[in-house]
Amino acid sequence: MRRLGDLEAEIMDRFWTWNRPATVREVVDDINRARTVAYTTVMTVTNILYNKGWLLRGKQGRAWLYSPVRSREAYAAALMEDGLGESRDRSAALVHFVENMSEDEVAALREALRSVGRQAKV
Amino acid sequence: MNAAPVLVGYTAAVGFVAPPLLLRAAWPHRAPALAAAVWHALLVSFSIGVALAAYNLAAPTEHLHAGLVGLLHSCGLHVGPGGPDPDTADRLAVALPVALGTALAASLAFHVVRARRARTRHREAVDLVGRHSARLRATVLPYGVPAAYCLPGRRARIVISDAAIRELTPEQLAAVLAHERGHIAGRHHLALAVAEAFHSVFRRLPLARHAREQTALLLEMVADDRALRRHSSAALATAMYEMAAARTPRGAFAAGGHTVLIRLQRVLGPRPAPHPAFWGSVAAVAVAVPLLPLLVACPPVLG
Repeated sequence: MRRLGDLEAEIMDRFWTWNRPATVREVVDDINRARTVAYTTVMTVTNILYNKGWLLRGKQGRAWLYSPVRSREAYAAALMEDGLGESRDRSAALVHFVENMSEDEVAALREALRSVGRQAKV
Repeated sequence: MNAAPVLVGYTAAVGFVAPPLLLRAAWPHRAPALAAAVWHALLVSFSIGVALAAYNLAAPTEHLHAGLVGLLHSCGLHVGPGGPDPDTADRLAVALPVALGTALAASLAFHVVRARRARTRHREAVDLVGRHSARLRATVLPYGVPAAYCLPGRRARIVISDAAIRELTPEQLAAVLAHERGHIAGRHHLALAVAEAFHSVFRRLPLARHAREQTALLLEMVADDRALRRHSSAALATAMYEMAAARTPRGAFAAGGHTVLIRLQRVLGPRPAPHPAFWGSVAAVAVAVPLLPLLVACPPVLG
């Protein structure tokens, strides 16, 4: 069974790929090539995305044109920086693989790798 | 006899003397999970110690009060002549430990709920922006720097940048993912939340500060060990280096990088597990430590 989040992702995927304002009809037609989905369902979920702040919309003639607020890359960078603990609120929410380091600390790491005779790509 | 002086002394020892001793010991890095358990045992022991010390200080006359429940009931001992105002002292004696317990519970609830909310928000966004890779069992985000982190919890996610997939070797990538899975499987976020909650209540206490830092480091080591079950130490260590080095420019301001060096040296060096007898004794101490203040406050009745 598909969840609401899956359809949200499918819709956002189209807007990010097209990289231009589009109508709900265009999105529905594109999704319908792979599987059938009702126009009203897509419209409802698109509205949810608009209300959540993922999409902007403007009226052209009688139709609403939607476009993403930010590019996929911009969102990804913000999420990554949040996830890697570079944002202020460093709670126990996320666990990341390595901490941020200074250049001296990285040099010490390199030294440690070298001292045991392993090769690091620098 | 009133147990207050002994309790105050014991609690102070746990809060101020034990942390530097544990920090200086060599064995915690060889048995990180056990060491994390010892730190948590100290947190519990300190909390109970403070509660019982407060109770005994506020009720110096030690009379039995019908309102005291269970444990505290038996800790008052000796029915004797009341003090100047037994009722006030009594209420205070009960109110102090209850207030402490409430503060700790509220702090834990606050941290758990806040962290869960942050993770849920983050996970929903990651699901929209990222692409799930069934092969890696991780969500891939377009990002130019090799990096990985995990969102623990019930609907856990491992998030990895596409640069990590491009720039790490398959062995390195597998070791990183195994490390993150170790965090999720071990529910490390809960242990971190406990240390965080304790730190919020006893902000300036050495035990609180060290327990929070050490828990984070020790749990990284636990996850490292889990990754090393299936993957080579060379793969894990070089992946650590690659990811740390790649992130230097933007993270140059941040502290805490020395923990990666400690982990890397540990991963590359010999890691002899402690002798089972030693392990067993430490585990026994970890179990006994929270019970000690109770033993002091409620000595078994002899004769």
